[in-house]
Amino acid sequence: MKPIGFLYIMLVMLACVPWIIDSRYIFHIATMITIMAPMALSLGLMLKLGQLSIAQPALMGIGAYTAALLATKLGAPTLAALLCGGVMAALVALVIGPVFLRIKGVYFVLLTYAFGEVVYLTFQEWTTLTGGMSGLYGIPKLSLFGFRLTLAQHYYVLGLMFTLLCYFGIRAIEKSNVGAIITALNEDEMLSRALGSNAIAWRVAAFTLSALIAGISGGIYANYIGFLSPDPFGFRASVDLIVINTIGGTGSILGALLGAILVVPLPELLREAQQYRLLIYGICLVIFLVFVRNGLVSLRWPWGRKS
Amino acid sequence: MTQLLRVEGLSKRFGGLAAVSNVTFSVENGEIFGIIGPNGAGKTTLFNVIAGYYRSSGGKIVFDGTDISNRSSDQIGRLGMARTFQAVHVFKTETVRENLRRAGVIGRLHSPFALFASSTRHRVVDEEEVAEFIGMRGLMDVVAGGLAYGFQKILGIGMAMMASPKLILMDEPAAGLNPSEKKEASLLVRRLHKERGMSILIVEHDMPLVMGICERILVVNQGKQIALGTPAEIRSDATVIDAYLGDSYEFA
Repeated sequence: MKPIGFLYIMLVMLACVPWIIDSRYIFHIATMITIMAPMALSLGLMLKLGQLSIAQPALMGIGAYTAALLATKLGAPTLAALLCGGVMAALVALVIGPVFLRIKGVYFVLLTYAFGEVVYLTFQEWTTLTGGMSGLYGIPKLSLFGFRLTLAQHYYVLGLMFTLLCYFGIRAIEKSNVGAIITALNEDEMLSRALGSNAIAWRVAAFTLSALIAGISGGIYANYIGFLSPDPFGFRASVDLIVINTIGGTGSILGALLGAILVVPLPELLREAQQYRLLIYGICLVIFLVFVRNGLVSLRWPWGRKS
Repeated sequence: MTQLLRVEGLSKRFGGLAAVSNVTFSVENGEIFGIIGPNGAGKTTLFNVIAGYYRSSGGKIVFDGTDISNRSSDQIGRLGMARTFQAVHVFKTETVRENLRRAGVIGRLHSPFALFASSTRHRVVDEEEVAEFIGMRGLMDVVAGGLAYGFQKILGIGMAMMASPKLILMDEPAAGLNPSEKKEASLLVRRLHKERGMSILIVEHDMPLVMGICERILVVNQGKQIALGTPAEIRSDATVIDAYLGDSYEFA
């Protein structure tokens, strides 16, 4: 059997674990994984462009608040509100992308950091709209074609489906001509442009897609938790996403998935040692950077070399 | 013959330094045109202004009826002007086949909008056929970074061909090559012109190579054009001999 096939079977089995243990708490963690995995994939897509974006959680927040506000204040159907959240985040990316993506390296990191802070502060200070730090309550549960998603299990299945859609979608893009064009841009921009590649247009397209994913993840999160505060969309969330991608394997779609599965439950597992959480995070990251530079995907699995 | 590229009174200043001043020439459709000059003469600057890497300080560049004076390199690439690089630019971790295929894909899909447009403007170029033409058919599965330098340069020409351009700009195609590789490269350029009717603009300081393959030559020195004509005319041009070649220079 191909090792990668074996890995998929393992992942499918892992995905079934919550039903075997069947605890609310496990379902909650599993659901959070399926919300953060698309986020990790959305950052992974940016890393494929060679751009480290700190703006992804802010885009997630834009999706979350848009979906929540449309549903609570305007009484929009929840599914429509969720999709609008994704579209809103994508539109924001489409507007800022042409400016931001002209800038590279550490300047891009700083620019997206600043953007993230502006968005975060907006969530925090625009209290009449967002409720500020005290939060936005009473977000209705998602309703899919007449079926109301009330339990963690429901959101887990939804999250799982969205994660699979993102994973296989991005993988299909990666293997297509578009993937070759984007990789080429990252490897040798001068050559790509000489051949006529419209670098900005391709980068903006990828950024917009990554924002769409982040926005929809945010909407699922808002409907699942039923309460929003600016907290989950701050700088810390960006660090988490970077840790996930680094541990999984930077620039690898599978790596982002594996990283999310490993890293998202960490705070829960470390609940007892809350004050050491950052320390343990840091140590994990150092160990990975030193010994497993290319992440989980580069490891030799017991059943053979990963292709 | 129609004019494919027209350069009129082109200047490029860097601060107070006039790297290129008032250069005028044109490349006819189907022509193979050379620009020569000693190191520091402004050849590369001239090349970079034409290819859209520098903005000109004055003058006009018209390519295939379009004013490209202030266009960026990728816009110029989309108009059908491909280029090769003095230093090798290939996708080093990919095979020769993938390099050629990618160049074709990039040449066809310039932007995300091209995915939705039914573009018949760009014909699909067959990488096998191009590989055959550049003599690299047997190296298709070799990783480009592992090829000899000369082959990497030739691959660069193949990649430019994949974008099915109207004009290929070549930035010192012989630089860094040994004598036998130089021969191969100049043979390839000549065949590209003869067999494919490709219009080519070469910037080079290897005099014998340019004299051997170009139909007309522009000589630049210290940013100024000092002569323009056929290789025979250039050979006997007193200004060229005095100002740049020196009387001891051996012509091929």
